[in-house]
Amino acid sequence: MAHNIRKRNMNHADAEIDLVPMIDCIFLLLLFFMLCGRITVDQRTEQITVPPTKTAAKFKDPNGWTREIVNLFGATQHGAADQPPRNSIRIGTHTFNASGVNDYSGYKGLRQILDAVYDKAEKYDDPKKTGMRLPKVIIEIRADGDTEYRVVQEVQQVLTDTLDLENMQPKKGLDPKTARAFVNIDFTTRRPEDKM
Amino acid sequence: MAESPDDKLAEGKLDLVPLIDCIMLLLLFFILTTKFTSEEKTITSLLPTDKGQAAAPSKPVEPPQMINICIYPAGLYKGGQPSEYFKQLNDMRAGIAVIPKAWIKVGNADPIEMDGGILQKAKSGNQLLQQVEQVHVYLNDALAKFEKGGDRKTQDPVVIHCFSGLSWKYALVCYDAVRAYEAKVSGRKSTGNPSDFDEAREVDFAPPRIRDYSAKELGEELFEIIHMK
Repeated sequence: MAHNIRKRNMNHADAEIDLVPMIDCIFLLLLFFMLCGRITVDQRTEQITVPPTKTAAKFKDPNGWTREIVNLFGATQHGAADQPPRNSIRIGTHTFNASGVNDYSGYKGLRQILDAVYDKAEKYDDPKKTGMRLPKVIIEIRADGDTEYRVVQEVQQVLTDTLDLENMQPKKGLDPKTARAFVNIDFTTRRPEDKM
Repeated sequence: MAESPDDKLAEGKLDLVPLIDCIMLLLLFFILTTKFTSEEKTITSLLPTDKGQAAAPSKPVEPPQMINICIYPAGLYKGGQPSEYFKQLNDMRAGIAVIPKAWIKVGNADPIEMDGGILQKAKSGNQLLQQVEQVHVYLNDALAKFEKGGDRKTQDPVVIHCFSGLSWKYALVCYDAVRAYEAKVSGRKSTGNPSDFDEAREVDFAPPRIRDYSAKELGEELFEIIHMK
């Protein structure tokens, strides 16, 4: 028995832990996270559940085009005090409220940001020959499925610069040469068969 | 006395500890920063630039016939008055944030029902697939009846009229069904490129016809959508 104990102690003293299997496992884990995970981009906030569509495709911006994401919040986060209320608009780090039926101040804020985007963007002539100069920017409307239809529609009208934001009436005598319209729109969606 | 790294190297052994440290840090970073959400996709649309501000034509042009897809809260039947529709709407919305079901119809056809709860489910399931498929089949059959032949640009425009207080998902699912029909008939798949729309049929979301969303206006809006041909 004493002989056995001595033998065991000797083995401990000489032992070197074989690290190779552990490194193998860690490398596999690392590879898994690198390939399967997606680093969250701040612009795509988590509280939004986009509607399902069958013709949805992976987006790929044409060369020379840029993309801006407009998040519209729905009722997915309803009831949580720290979440934006239904119908809020978020572009970049700016959040605007669109839930007031007769309060359109949020749209003015949105338009100001869009104007800055328009100024920076490369432009092309409207193929429909309206005389407008259109920016090479795709606006992605990332609306929660439960956002009110009116909000999505009003955002689209703000994008096309056809509303007078003082009274929310269609602009009268809009000059195509000064209009700052964004017409290339992507609606964010998911495939019905996708696991979220 | 502990062996120095040089001693180990001399013995043909590599010191793996710094390597493991680095890998562990990388692993921790990826574990903490990655999300396993499915990759989002998009469906493209082109907003009109030639509506409202174009110069008046020199001679009157016959307006094109439009195919109207109407979406309104389920349970509202034709034949009512705006005030009755508004009352029914208020009853429907009592105590809930979102109207749970919608009816969809094309022109005068009988409506079909969509369950918003199923469409909003984050996880896929047979019910969701069936729900989306049902709308696709319904709109495919309805649009086929209006098919004129010729190129897609000359087809009657499709306009989606959705009640302003309903959820956006209903309108987008209908838009998707129209796009799927167009892809089937034209044999062209969407590339997501703005030039996709150069030869495509016009499909628009109708803007809300009201701005003040008062009781009177909401009732009128429902009346118009329900009775639209």
